[in-house]
Amino acid sequence: MSEAREIKLDRMRYTKNTTSSRLALLAIVFDVLFFISIYKSNVSTWYYNILMGASIIYNLVFLLAAFLASESVKNYRAGYSWLMIILGVIQIARIWIYPMTAHAALVNNEPVMGDAQFIRCVIYLVLSAACLFAGAVVNTNKSRALSRHISSLEAGKAA
Amino acid sequence: MAELSLQHIDKIYDNNVQAVFDFNLDVKDGELIVLVGPSGCGKSTTLRMVAGLEDISRGKLLLDGRDITQAPAKDRDMAMVFQNYALYAHMTIYENMAFSLTLRKEDPNVIHKKVLAAAEILGLTTQLNKKPNQLSGGQRQRVAMGRSIVRNPKVFLFDEPLSNLDAKLRGATRREILLLHKRLSATMLYVTHDQTEALTLADRIVCMSMGHVQQVGTPLELYDKPNNLFVASFIGLPPMNFFDVTVEDGRLCGQGFEAPLTAQEQDTLANYLHKTIVLGVRPEDISEGGTLRVQVSTNENLGMNTLVHGHLGEGSRVSAKLRGWASYADGDVLMAKFDRKHFFDKETTNAIRGKGD
Repeated sequence: MSEAREIKLDRMRYTKNTTSSRLALLAIVFDVLFFISIYKSNVSTWYYNILMGASIIYNLVFLLAAFLASESVKNYRAGYSWLMIILGVIQIARIWIYPMTAHAALVNNEPVMGDAQFIRCVIYLVLSAACLFAGAVVNTNKSRALSRHISSLEAGKAA
Repeated sequence: MAELSLQHIDKIYDNNVQAVFDFNLDVKDGELIVLVGPSGCGKSTTLRMVAGLEDISRGKLLLDGRDITQAPAKDRDMAMVFQNYALYAHMTIYENMAFSLTLRKEDPNVIHKKVLAAAEILGLTTQLNKKPNQLSGGQRQRVAMGRSIVRNPKVFLFDEPLSNLDAKLRGATRREILLLHKRLSATMLYVTHDQTEALTLADRIVCMSMGHVQQVGTPLELYDKPNNLFVASFIGLPPMNFFDVTVEDGRLCGQGFEAPLTAQEQDTLANYLHKTIVLGVRPEDISEGGTLRVQVSTNENLGMNTLVHGHLGEGSRVSAKLRGWASYADGDVLMAKFDRKHFFDKETTNAIRGKGD
């Protein structure tokens, strides 16, 4: 391993994993944009009202969980990569729950969600999920590398 | 290589108050200079002028021959350690130490090497992931020093760095600064009002009062050969005893006491015969077994020494630092002698020196 690579690894002992942390925060931003976008839906039946209500409640859960993941991956906690992946998978799955259902539905011959709004919502959810997946991958790689580096340092000390 | 030269420096504030008068000093490479004096004497102002935090009203400041009088602080290649540490509470120790280099956009790997090297020198390696509020005062001060070390400046400036520490920690950190100076061989300017710090740390001391330099010299010179009454009274703990005395033939006559003069002392005072001068005697230069009657008022045992306070003759207050454990009670008489005397002109307050001094 080159000296520069070795130092870069050693730096991780004292610096935060800001890449993963910022990606998780960016995922929150995209989710908030999605959150704002769904308000424009032409909701006039209880079914879509309930769907939107559930979506809002889940958004709050998502914000908390994603922020928790952001703070944890900052300290290279490998387990939180799984939380980010799960949140990412749910963000993708949500496309089929609210935007897709609402886009296909008509209320009084009016679409619950228009084409432009639908595309915007899907893009925001996909981007949010992509950020979470990327953050999880970066965190997994970095935390493994750091863990190996610390082990080798401890082995060196013991020897 | 860092030689600093302060030439005829004055500091005059906007309200026409002059804080520093004609300050001259040449600091050699690797020298540790301590500016010492009471509060308000202009020592911190002088340091801040050197750092570029205060404008220099008159005079020149040269660093390695280059005039930096008007240079902004960031271009002076000096690092300052403050009394209150000035650490960022939300950053870790590592981030605090790396901060100045990060601002300069240095290579992160180079920053890492420098921070680890500084942490190693200061014994902070295991503290790098902590926040400042998790460290003791001494450790925080070491972090502040580490932040200076990583910059590898030409001159280190310390503004009363130990004032916030308790007595025990102050002693330990003082020794660390001394070791640091030996290890780095860096040019350092250190401001303190504590004469113990000045005497133990300095290669040379600059003693200041009311904005004027009173004496520049090695710690021994200032202790042993003070230039004037101010330096004599400021350096040394407990402070020097002073008595108004008249020079007579072969003796000094004070208020209710007489002290004999040696031939060399008579020679020194030849021009002061029948005149009144100030006699200075350090408490540690008073010993038991002479002809001077000291009426004891208090007795302080310090372990290896005893401080005896009392009155000499008809009222001159005197303090004596006797070796060992002594137990004088209030009203006891201590028969004492002066082992070493300092003489000062009463008018000019300057030291009276003989040919050999």
